[in-house]
Amino acid sequence: MATKFEGNVKAIPEMPPKEIEEIRSSMESVSRKVIAENIERMKKTWPNRPKTMQYFDEISNFFGQRLEDIRAQKEAGKKIVAYSCMFAPIELILAAGAIPVRIDSGWYDAAKLGDKIVPVEVCPVIRSAIGTQMVNLSPYLELSDAVIIPLTCDGRTKLSEILRDDRTVWTMCPPRIKDSPESRKLWVEEVKAVKKKIEDLTGTEITGKRLRSAIELTQKATKAIRRLQEIRKGNPVIMGRDAMLVNQTSMWDDLKKWMQKTEELCDELENRIEQKNWACSPDTPRVMVTGTPMIWPDNWKIPNLIEESNPQGVIVVDELCSGDRLLYDPVGVDEWTMSDMIDAVADRYTLASTCPCFTSEHGNEDRINWLLDRIKEYRVDGVIYYVLRGCILYAMEYARIKRILDRMNVPIYYLDTEYTREDVGQMKTRVEAFLEMLETRVALKPVN
Amino acid sequence: MIAAGIDIGTQSAKVAILKDGEVLSRSLALCGFDPKEAAGQAFKEALKNAKLSFEKVEHITATGAGAAKAPYSHSTISMMGADAQAGAYFFSSARTVIDVGAEEARAVSCDENGNMLNFVLNSRCAAGAGTFIEAMARALEVELEELGPLSLKAEKASPINASCVIFSESDVVSLIHRQEPKPEIARAIYDAMADRISSMAHRLGIKPHIVLVGGVAKDVGFVTSLKRKLGTELLIPEDPVFAGSVGAALTASKRIR
Repeated sequence: MATKFEGNVKAIPEMPPKEIEEIRSSMESVSRKVIAENIERMKKTWPNRPKTMQYFDEISNFFGQRLEDIRAQKEAGKKIVAYSCMFAPIELILAAGAIPVRIDSGWYDAAKLGDKIVPVEVCPVIRSAIGTQMVNLSPYLELSDAVIIPLTCDGRTKLSEILRDDRTVWTMCPPRIKDSPESRKLWVEEVKAVKKKIEDLTGTEITGKRLRSAIELTQKATKAIRRLQEIRKGNPVIMGRDAMLVNQTSMWDDLKKWMQKTEELCDELENRIEQKNWACSPDTPRVMVTGTPMIWPDNWKIPNLIEESNPQGVIVVDELCSGDRLLYDPVGVDEWTMSDMIDAVADRYTLASTCPCFTSEHGNEDRINWLLDRIKEYRVDGVIYYVLRGCILYAMEYARIKRILDRMNVPIYYLDTEYTREDVGQMKTRVEAFLEMLETRVALKPVN
Repeated sequence: MIAAGIDIGTQSAKVAILKDGEVLSRSLALCGFDPKEAAGQAFKEALKNAKLSFEKVEHITATGAGAAKAPYSHSTISMMGADAQAGAYFFSSARTVIDVGAEEARAVSCDENGNMLNFVLNSRCAAGAGTFIEAMARALEVELEELGPLSLKAEKASPINASCVIFSESDVVSLIHRQEPKPEIARAIYDAMADRISSMAHRLGIKPHIVLVGGVAKDVGFVTSLKRKLGTELLIPEDPVFAGSVGAALTASKRIR
């Protein structure tokens, strides 16, 4: 006779509330310090940093004004829908009048805490998310009424179970084959299912009119971020880290305000182009970063090293789902009918994505083409291929990409790291040598 | 034109002084607990040997893991960049430089002018570096200098795990318990290390000629194993341990102009 376990055993053991609060508050104070330090470092690298960046600095503080705003809106009756991974369709959350906040975790100390629950072989983004859950570190996660977790990798799949122990979790199953009709059907159904859940939570029906205005809002955000990206194609008028911060704050900021500030920043940067007021020397090697997400605030390690290195590099473009990919792809609607809009929202998250969780008859050629296009358009001198240990998908795609870039004579360097501050020295050795090499190559490059 | 290079490694600090591109003098001091002091001492010694005062040195370039311990330097260069410079300086036909130091191993490809074209580093573990040999000599209870010549007497090699110093040590201990002859164990140690270094070099893509530098390049056991593994000759300069400092000094000379 089969035995069926009837109890409810959580993955995370019970901890005394006092201990939880002690750890949480000490982690919060470390985090506040790291946020302030990172901003100081960015200012030091770019002393003439535009005033508009102050807005994004403020939003980047997880424990600051934006938290107060969200808290006030929640008290006024708004629902907060958190999500992990950029596959969660924020248009639907916005259409129901709820607030979307991405809660992927960049806290190093939380990853160490997560080690008590899962082995160190697990990707640190996931271990860190488990750690934040253990001590309620993420204020946005704590305020959320539900969490959407697209099951884009093994880590997120099992993370959903651990978060579900204490929260309302909605999983979404993305297809692994990107472009087949069956895959599209599956994903459209998943989008419809999550729409229903959002409607039930908020008590708001997502009508055609509501969805259309939400889509139009994200389309405007796309326009703003594309404008910033266009600016970065020229001589460096903004440092990469600052652009990354702008990108990243869109994950939890009010999109309308964020767009307005991004447009303001672009106005100022365009002025600076006319005045030839560069953020760093136009000869600075131009770096592209690709690979696993780099989440604020602790995991700013590699961008800090690249832009503070001697010789210096400037990140002109990235292929990160926490960066330039975030709002780049618009929802392409043909006709403003409900079914067309749902299809278009679904496609933005799958067909347009370059995430290595997909494959197709042509492998992940979309990502390769994306990289090659950007290398050309942004005049990239070298690529840092960044992988967090435990991320098999990004690690495995490296071999082919390396061979392709070798053939095109584009230097690429594989940097594997962890959620730790202890390997900064080793990372620095590698980053500096890579930039030194790029600098030599830039100097040797024939002028045409 | 006087230029100096200072290479502060994990085990020792090395200084080379160049006059018009020729090595005037060099000096080495063990770091012990105070790499800063060791670097200063090596510098004074090198100046003394060259019969120069500190003021005569026009540019100092520092390299190595402890490059920051030489605050009086004017500039820095990466260890890989210094290897490329030194490799092409010692042998104009050099296109690949392999550097095996105390705690790190690296391979660099370079052009005839000593420009670094590409590089690889071993993973963050000392299993492919000099410290590994020291640990293994201890396990075998032989002097470090004896391990190389001992390995040459081996008739065959027994494979050991070289993915980690600790695992290798336990492998060596079980070979000792199996009463394998010491020369064969010694050779197994070098073969395992050569394996790691050669797979690292292959990731870079090996172009002849290959120059081997770093403290471990003086170890006949390692050199023999690596040659066998790579199936090619290795060019080794007279004092391979000074490659980093010479490379830094060459960089310093270029920066005077």
